[in-house]
Amino acid sequence: MRESASNTRFAEVVLPHLDAAYNYARWLTRNAQDAEDVVQEACVRGLRYFGGFRGDNARTWFLAVVRNACFDWLRRNRPAEVTVVDERTLEAFPAPARLVPEQHAIERAEALALSQAVAALPLTFREVVILRELEELSYKEIARIADIPIGTVMSRLARARALLAHSPLLRAVGESAAGGTR
Amino acid sequence: MNCDDASVRMAAYCDGELDAVASADVERHAAGCARCGQQRAALLDLGKRIREEVPYHTAPKSLRERLMAPASTAPRVRGPWRWAGLGAAFGAAATALAIFVAGEVLQRNEHDALSRQVVANHVRSSLTGQRVAVISSDRHTVKPWLSARLDFAPPVKDLAEKGYSLEGARIEALDGHAVAALVYRHRNHTIDVFVRPESGADVPPSVHTFRGFNVARARGAEMAMWIVSDLNVEELTAFAADIAHRE
Repeated sequence: MRESASNTRFAEVVLPHLDAAYNYARWLTRNAQDAEDVVQEACVRGLRYFGGFRGDNARTWFLAVVRNACFDWLRRNRPAEVTVVDERTLEAFPAPARLVPEQHAIERAEALALSQAVAALPLTFREVVILRELEELSYKEIARIADIPIGTVMSRLARARALLAHSPLLRAVGESAAGGTR
Repeated sequence: MNCDDASVRMAAYCDGELDAVASADVERHAAGCARCGQQRAALLDLGKRIREEVPYHTAPKSLRERLMAPASTAPRVRGPWRWAGLGAAFGAAATALAIFVAGEVLQRNEHDALSRQVVANHVRSSLTGQRVAVISSDRHTVKPWLSARLDFAPPVKDLAEKGYSLEGARIEALDGHAVAALVYRHRNHTIDVFVRPESGADVPPSVHTFRGFNVARARGAEMAMWIVSDLNVEELTAFAADIAHRE
């Protein structure tokens, strides 16, 4: 009886944040089906650990559970994506070469280019952009979810924004737009 | 403040992470410095573009169904996921929410009880995917639809110019009475506005947080309004003031 009350409370606390959980998992895995699997696994884990939740910020708590489920999934299924963990390695990360646009990409809408540029960001940069800009979370909340210091949140955000601003994809679109108005 | 100080703080300034004093310092410097002004404009523009152009993926119906399904019928997923009990938990939550809506949960004060119902309605409509019963961004369609189903005519405002697009409306129950629920969208946030007649002087919006949602309460033009969303407090307050403002 006590267990079912706890389950009910878990669902009440967590369900309202299902969109946030799915959006986060969707951008981390970049795949709809994988994101569903990850969120489902996060719900199973969350239910198990929910007894330990004493905080007031259910969204942050649940997103941290989703993140752990996500990274475990990625380590199993796409280990190459999670191998870059050293901050210095991250700093040295070059603008991804595969972002060089093909001819047809230049003609695509700017919005699509920006989405693609975000999707092409390395995992650790992508997640801070999603948490900050789409979930509109504070540095402190992002730090708690990703389990990193606030200073690291700021440096990753700065690097992510620089990568986006200099993304060849966006530049190509910008140049073709400028060329078009000439 | 010099350029180095301003530049180091610019991202935190644009992300709303600086206190009022530090923010004012950065603003003052950026106003008189072309380079830092440009840096600020570029950062703000990038953030705005990401929020507008990068899609926010809401949980699909298939995921909600998977979570809501009873344990015995829940489809097995790939891999060694454990699964027992989840469907039962979520099913129980849906029942619990239904109970809140019926107003059977006794509360010490009416304010709390109403916030609870308002949030429960908001959550339930998003869970069941039945956010709107009439889909229209045209208030001249939405208003008559509501008036035909209620014994009052709720004000329906067009706030598209301020970035709040009308998505439609539905009828909800609040305290056992039928009320209008207007649905607006702002970036990726859904905003529910519950409206019912209430006599008395206009009351400016006051916002409090309930279960992770912000709920604004206001009275304007003889209408009581509850506005609920996961939108931040500042924007929700401004929106509530616009909604309650007597035309």
